[in-house]
Amino acid sequence: MSAMTQKRVVKPQERIPEIPEKIFLFRSCTGSMEYPGTENCVEYVLKKLGIEVIKDPDQSCCSGYILTCSGHIAEPSLAVTARNLALVEQRYGLDTYVFCNGCFGYNKELKHIIDHHPEYKKMCNDLIAQWGYHYEGKSTVYHVQELYYLLLDRIKENVVRPLTGLRVAAHYGCHYLAQQYGILDEGDLPTFHEEIYTALGATPVFYKERRMCCGYAVGRGFTHPENVVQPHLAKKFDSAKEEGVDIMTTTCPGCNVALDREQPKLAKRGFGPYDIPVVDLGQLIALAFGAPIESIGFNANSTSVDPILKKLGLGKGDK
Amino acid sequence: MPRENMTQWDDKLYQKVDRYNLVPNLDECLQCGKCTGNCPVAALHPSYNPRQIVHDILLGEVDRVLQSEEIWRCLWCANCYRVCPVDIHYPLLMMQLRYLALENGYGLKYVTPINKYAYRSLECGLTFVPGQKGIDKIKGLREGIGVDPWPKVSKKAIHEYGEIFKQTGAYDWMKALDEVQAKGEEKPVTLTFLGGRLVDERYDTEEGS
Ligand code: SF4
Ligand code: SF4
Repeated sequence: MSAMTQKRVVKPQERIPEIPEKIFLFRSCTGSMEYPGTENCVEYVLKKLGIEVIKDPDQSCCSGYILTCSGHIAEPSLAVTARNLALVEQRYGLDTYVFCNGCFGYNKELKHIIDHHPEYKKMCNDLIAQWGYHYEGKSTVYHVQELYYLLLDRIKENVVRPLTGLRVAAHYGCHYLAQQYGILDEGDLPTFHEEIYTALGATPVFYKERRMCCGYAVGRGFTHPENVVQPHLAKKFDSAKEEGVDIMTTTCPGCNVALDREQPKLAKRGFGPYDIPVVDLGQLIALAFGAPIESIGFNANSTSVDPILKKLGLGKGDK
Repeated sequence: MPRENMTQWDDKLYQKVDRYNLVPNLDECLQCGKCTGNCPVAALHPSYNPRQIVHDILLGEVDRVLQSEEIWRCLWCANCYRVCPVDIHYPLLMMQLRYLALENGYGLKYVTPINKYAYRSLECGLTFVPGQKGIDKIKGLREGIGVDPWPKVSKKAIHEYGEIFKQTGAYDWMKALDEVQAKGEEKPVTLTFLGGRLVDERYDTEEGS
């Protein structure tokens, strides 16, 4: 199934050879419900970068999350992936861009399985034919962060609110970095988020556990009890705190739930306390691009972003 | 403490686990332990050991792997897969191993609660839709940032999503798990990989978990 001849790390220009004028943006359930500001900012940023965004209400959830908890068998997720990607290729002939590492990992992985197992491809196509879909696999799955990085120059040009003095730390997220082949940066020592922070005028901070998994804390309480997730997360936040991190960014609303919502609960258990706000990378870029603060949706966070806004002179009462 | 105190073996265990043929190269495992060395769960809970789980699946140590509590600790972060020298897709192995455990009556308590979101997703095409109070909060937040109160998901998307779950048998599969649980037939899981390991008493004892 795997192809060891494939390159592990590719240059952004290799990954996305041509800068698209138009992309299909895949809606993330968590990114549009838990943190609606994420979806809003991703669109805002892409628009500022000169990319036209197409969305479609006929797109459904990628169905990956419950699958990874083994909550149901794999057939529906294969068929759902084929259906969503067939919809994009048939209606728009565009590539698919996601803004959630979960959607990225599942769509990419499931697409890989469909493309490499003719029997699964047939199963999917037989099933979705009843609604007029036919999956061929022409729509490639990308993450918007890859496009951000490719458009680093355009990002620099659009900064009107430089984040000077802000100490920003990255959480890349496993389902991007742990992709075996064809990702933008070395899974062990990625730096492309840090390069984006620098473009925004912020100070990138490297902390020891920055590669570490978010602990899957949405599944916390279900598949993953406290005793698995909490010490794990505490280890991550301890190392971030040590480096004096002001704010952390993710490129996955799922990681965002884990890292943001769990902090108050960690404090109750005697870890920390931590007060490191966690936002989407798109939200941070939108902030630097001068988006109206209300439209960024920081108020969805459990660990308040207000101290950061204050630090930047953007808090309530500042002007 | 002797590690080999399990007695039930099944030569066909690997084939039974890899039902979707997603880890056809499992028997190429070098037992190098890079997976374990890079696993964040193993770092905190030494009784969770992906290398040993691969070993036991290949050997057919059915008892230990199916009733294991440890197999429910994997975060699916795929760090193991990232570093594996022979590209064994351990998370996909874990997904399928859990299916087998569930079908044998183990570990239902870990998935049936989260499946309430799976059932709800069949009605709205989105996963993790909360209860009414949560929905109102989301609507408030969305309106606050100036977008439609609810993500646009068409009736067509919802219908087709639900049908896919029904027509592939996934819906019945989930319901069957609920039934086993309702009848009180779920079997207990235990820490089966403790033998011979240093443990963290706070977390790796039966009481701690
Ligand atoms: S890293 Fe791969 S080859 Fe090495 S023990 Fe783990 S599964 Fe086996
Ligand atoms: S996917 Fe599971 S076994 Fe692999 S490194 Fe992550 S937690 Fe460990």
